[in-house]
Amino acid sequence: MSSRDSENYIKKMFREYYLKWDGRPPKEYERREYGFVPSRKGDVLRHVSFNDWREMKEFLAKNAPLHVYYSSAYYLQPSAQDMESKEWLGADLVFDIDVDHIYTPCKERHDKWLCLDCNFNGKGMAPEACPKCSSKRIDGKAWFCEECLNVAREETEKLVEDFLMSDFGFSEEEVEIVFSGRRGFHIHVENDVVKQLDQKARREIVDYVKGMGLILEGGRKKAHAPPLNASGWHGRIARGVYELLVGCDKEGAGIEEGTTKTICEKLQESKGYWLVEGDVCRAWLSLAKKAVASKRCNIDERVTIDVKRLIRLPETLHGGTGLIALRIDIDGLSGFDPYKHAVAFNSGEIKVKVAEAPKITFMGQEWGPYLNQVVEVPTGLAVYLISSGNAEVSP
Amino acid sequence: MSFSKLDLATYPFLSSTARIIEELGVSFYLEELLSPTSEVFLRSLERIREAVFYRVTTLRRRDLDVEILSHPVALLIINAMEDKRLLNIYAEAEKNRVHEGLIRESHERVLLLAVDGFGWHIHKEGDGFSLRFDDYLKASTHMLDPYWKLVNRSVRGGYVEVSRKDVCRLLAEAYRARILEKGAKRLLEGLPEDVKPEVEGLRREVDAALPKGKAAGLIERLEYNPSAFPPCISKLLQEAEEGKNLPHMARFTLAAFLLTVGKRPEEVMELFRKMPDFNEEKTAYHLKHVAGEIGSKTRYLPPNCASLRTLNLCPLGDSTCPKVKHPLVYYARMLKLARKRNHE
Repeated sequence: MSSRDSENYIKKMFREYYLKWDGRPPKEYERREYGFVPSRKGDVLRHVSFNDWREMKEFLAKNAPLHVYYSSAYYLQPSAQDMESKEWLGADLVFDIDVDHIYTPCKERHDKWLCLDCNFNGKGMAPEACPKCSSKRIDGKAWFCEECLNVAREETEKLVEDFLMSDFGFSEEEVEIVFSGRRGFHIHVENDVVKQLDQKARREIVDYVKGMGLILEGGRKKAHAPPLNASGWHGRIARGVYELLVGCDKEGAGIEEGTTKTICEKLQESKGYWLVEGDVCRAWLSLAKKAVASKRCNIDERVTIDVKRLIRLPETLHGGTGLIALRIDIDGLSGFDPYKHAVAFNSGEIKVKVAEAPKITFMGQEWGPYLNQVVEVPTGLAVYLISSGNAEVSP
Repeated sequence: MSFSKLDLATYPFLSSTARIIEELGVSFYLEELLSPTSEVFLRSLERIREAVFYRVTTLRRRDLDVEILSHPVALLIINAMEDKRLLNIYAEAEKNRVHEGLIRESHERVLLLAVDGFGWHIHKEGDGFSLRFDDYLKASTHMLDPYWKLVNRSVRGGYVEVSRKDVCRLLAEAYRARILEKGAKRLLEGLPEDVKPEVEGLRREVDAALPKGKAAGLIERLEYNPSAFPPCISKLLQEAEEGKNLPHMARFTLAAFLLTVGKRPEEVMELFRKMPDFNEEKTAYHLKHVAGEIGSKTRYLPPNCASLRTLNLCPLGDSTCPKVKHPLVYYARMLKLARKRNHE
């Protein structure tokens, strides 16, 4: 069977999904620009807008695109062909947490990459450019395992609870968490406070969340250490240091016991800033640096700074996985399993020829690993393997 | 809350004064105000002179009506002169004057001024204030001192802790930004004929008093000397010469820097030719854009240090080059140093 059959099969399944689609529109949907990727080789169809959400549903049912995007921005003329005449009115604040950009040790086990120019290849996280010939044409085979998912979930929780809700004061209703459809989460903040923020202001928010440009006060001999309940990064650092010292990660300290005890006691007692001096100061500063590294949030800054970006529309399918970009409650995040909750096709089984796939837990059951073999798998897994380019439909 | 005439004259950002400025654009009084004998017109010219010669404007208490109107009229005149540098200097001088007033105000008055003038979400908190983060960011993002970076601030529940001193500075900055924003739009079709000689006279005075714009002057004096390049540019240049694939913003930074310090687009093109995904047509298009030959016709400068840090293009990371906010300033200083050494 050819890849054309596979493409037709995916198209058929996507159409089936979109015929019954009833996705909730984003806020002020008629002010947004939409973009679509109709097929694997097709260009992005941009500058589309809808005055009635029913038109969107009809469009999706008719065209069954591989990817559906919408602008985080609001425009006066969302369908204008060039950015100038669209007339920007504001934009949501958007964050992207993508394991593609975060190092995880499990990638050494399940990710591979190949340079399309010189065929040089390796395991683990794909480099930006080939180390041998510097080509940027790198083809990566990436998987999203339990460990990757945990990292993405942790980063998302940190962002939403510690930063967006606690520091920036957004309510649960204003923050929307969406599974990206592949290896991470998108976090959308829709409210009037963030709408008018320019790129400079958004860059400041990025730097805040990433802990960039943070000044650790004090010199080598003397410093003022914040109490555990301080707000902003100061409190975050104090709590981070405390966690390092009392947690199982004691080697993270590499600091002698007496000093550890002093800092711990001081942190427990202090209501206000306290003075650290001499050896304790040196230890404090090195611990503070580690605390920053553990408390910072690993977001892709480009997505947040760009106020005219297109981002995947919630509840549509990801063309590279066939999974749904599902909206998730903050409470539901810890129990979220993309290979269970974001699966669009739940009935039946189908035969596919799998080129290569690691062991994967799909709908609560283990499948694989596979290497060049024809197997019968649940429809959802078949769509996943075909969409990600790891399998073809088999007669 | 009502403010006195003195308040309106002192703080032109207050909503009542701001309304006067808004209305002036279409007012039929304008002709009367913009005439060679009008007291308001004369005071406006003086205000601009104060800005140019003393870098701070003054407050005349003698006739507060004239004083209140002279600020918007000064802005109209500067706008008609189409001199961006003069607008910057005027905004800065007004900021300085307003700041001097603000620091003498009580907590309560500062609060009232912030709410009426800029609609800030602000309340008293301990010895200082809490200011909503979006208001804080709008007023603080162009201040480059790390002191103002949000990451170094106490932030909780959407509010940023600020001292009274901070609020005065932020208000003055917000006022400056408002003047620049107003002044960037075209306010008048042109000045009445009979005031033109006066304004031309002012222009000559201003030109004589002000050295060429810092950046423009700086760029003219730059020569090509790679040994004086800042570390970020040296690193990018080296990587480009090694034929490494650079991300888009890295290429932009390098191109904008090299074009600014006197390289021709063809020469930069040769450098980029070594990159594995080199595309002659695309590169030529981008370079022409950066050089200001096509598109918006703006000649692009490389990003400043803060942006380079965010883009991960600053090889020094969190530590910085001493007292430098822009790679071109670093370069200019190193050139000066090199010249001095050659002399000795």
